[in-house]
Amino acid sequence: MKKTSMLAGFMLLGVLAGSVQAETADANIAADIVQVKRSVLELNKDLYELEEDLLSPATTRAAFYFSLTYGEFFEPLSIEIMGSGFEAVRHIYTERQVAALRMGAVQPLANINLGPGKHNLRAVIRGVDQLGQNRELVVEQQVEKTDKPLLLEFVVSDLAEQQSARAQLKFW
Amino acid sequence: MGHFIRFLFLSLVALTVQAAELKSTETLAPGQRVDDFSMPSAIGGWGQRLSEQRGKPVMLVWLDRCDQCEEELVRYQLLAESYALDHLVAWFIWAPRKNDRPPKMRLPVLLNDRKWSQSWGFNPRPAIMLINNDGVLDHLMLGDLSAHYDETEKTLAQWMAKQQLQASAENEK
Repeated sequence: MKKTSMLAGFMLLGVLAGSVQAETADANIAADIVQVKRSVLELNKDLYELEEDLLSPATTRAAFYFSLTYGEFFEPLSIEIMGSGFEAVRHIYTERQVAALRMGAVQPLANINLGPGKHNLRAVIRGVDQLGQNRELVVEQQVEKTDKPLLLEFVVSDLAEQQSARAQLKFW
Repeated sequence: MGHFIRFLFLSLVALTVQAAELKSTETLAPGQRVDDFSMPSAIGGWGQRLSEQRGKPVMLVWLDRCDQCEEELVRYQLLAESYALDHLVAWFIWAPRKNDRPPKMRLPVLLNDRKWSQSWGFNPRPAIMLINNDGVLDHLMLGDLSAHYDETEKTLAQWMAKQQLQASAENEK
């Protein structure tokens, strides 16, 4: 009888020890999983950066932005940016987008690849003036792409004294 | 030999065109989400973007050849305006051909031109699309607009009632 109860005790202890070991193993596996997940995220980030560098390296990276200051004398309806070495960029504005621009939003228009050197840019911004008449603002300018990213912002601003608006190119 | 090659080439071209047409008709069917687009106005004014209307029912009327075809569209305009209080958004989509002039309507008439990369075209035309609050195409009616007016009126009435019910059920949640 005594032997039987001792055997049962040993078995119980064995089961308990096994359960503790299993819990420790589970905790280790969970920690490993977290570590693996972290590594995957880091690898993903590295791959994304590599892809960005390969697809759009700084030497060819260029981006266009658009902004509107006040917009009392001109409301844009569309913009077209043409030039050598890239496909024309076109955008159609909605009322909601122009409302956002009026509140100070700067619109990222396009990211393009542009070879180093000088490029002639021509942007046509079609819209209406304060009298509802169709109007076009044109920006023609030569820009130089160096080995650094070229960030260009087309800014439409009011000329209060002339009750008109003008478009300019701003280099970031 | 030359004739044979020419025949073969023309057959291939014809097959490709047919395949492309089939693809375009297969690209959109009821139950599918409608891709976003932006189109400029054909008659002056703001451009429109489909995704900005999410949460509202949208009716798109894709016009076939139309040279100032206001008369044909007036009934559709009145029909759409009768649901304005239920927030129905309705646009006519016009593709210019030769020297055609766009119809002058109170509702927006959008210019469908391949030049604008933010837009896409739809064939066959004319067609009417009813797009629900979630941006999913519920009904697609193809064929002559005048001949299909009664069907459109009936379908629109039932569909708008369903949209209203769904909207009120969501509001109650």
